[in-house]
Amino acid sequence: MRGRIWLAGLLLAGLTTGASAQTMSYAEAGALIAKSCGKAITTYCGKVNIGSGKVLDCLEKNNAKVPPQCFTDLRAAIASIDKRSVARQDAFRLCRADAAQFCGSVQPGDANLLDCLLASRKVVNKACQQALLDAGWQ
Amino acid sequence: MDTKIMTSRAPRTLRHGMMALLLAACAAFAAPSALQAQDANDYIKDLTAPSQDEPTVTALVLRKMVEQAVAQNAPLELNRATIAAELDKLAQITVQIQFALDSAIIRPESYATIGAIADALHHPILWKYHFLITGNTDTTGNRARNLALSQQRADAVRDALVNLYGIDGRRLEAVGLGQEVLQTPKDPKNPINRRVQLFNIGLE
Repeated sequence: MRGRIWLAGLLLAGLTTGASAQTMSYAEAGALIAKSCGKAITTYCGKVNIGSGKVLDCLEKNNAKVPPQCFTDLRAAIASIDKRSVARQDAFRLCRADAAQFCGSVQPGDANLLDCLLASRKVVNKACQQALLDAGWQ
Repeated sequence: MDTKIMTSRAPRTLRHGMMALLLAACAAFAAPSALQAQDANDYIKDLTAPSQDEPTVTALVLRKMVEQAVAQNAPLELNRATIAAELDKLAQITVQIQFALDSAIIRPESYATIGAIADALHHPILWKYHFLITGNTDTTGNRARNLALSQQRADAVRDALVNLYGIDGRRLEAVGLGQEVLQTPKDPKNPINRRVQLFNIGLE
């Protein structure tokens, strides 16, 4: 059962944050969790804080009473947050060659390099493009 | 919905026209449909610090000041001006986070607000900066209890930023200020005093 929910979550995450789609902003991810799980969290996990890392465990303990949509959306939100974080960590590595080619004269810092990469986003390599998109910067 | 109840102060420190241009450029690339994305951009603007002035407020100093005042049951009047003046200099935002009654449990309607803060802190413009998260109550209830509760609430916001939204914990310090730094000292029971603030405390 748990495996199936996981699979559904992954599939949905794949659909909503697939190869060319943009990831959710963290604000949107938070709003999605609140919308699909807010009631269940308040009702069954009222003593568990969202930043404790234990909300999913608590919801799973109350599996029978929690709407399946909550698990689907919670996992999709977490997957999107993770994907965006990874893209942000990787973007400058994936864009290094493009940065050297198109942004050589840019003074690094204060997001100057990002600004240049975004201005050049139509010509940078595919992996760099995708990372900029997944990072939520364009 | 929750986006309506937060306010943010304009920074005093957005000195460089270059920076403003850059922010405008970033805003242009943001998804225009998402209301929260706009909030995150406002937060980025308001949290952007000047590069020169290194802030002098530290979490440790603040915490000691407030704890001492509450322990001695003394007014913070003498120091408040100092604290407020020091805090006032910093690039900052003020948000209303909804908590369960007399508890540090963040209510779901505030998940998106904290997410918008995370969106701002994850932006390359703010990457290198560290932030102070302060929790404040109004004067309803017991003063010492308010101090403890505000610390737990500031910690809860920090935990959400770190554990749910992946902000590096080394960038964030949480300090409860209890009822000691009221937003409306003449109307101390006004719920507007219950607030969470973020201050840019520099590069550390």
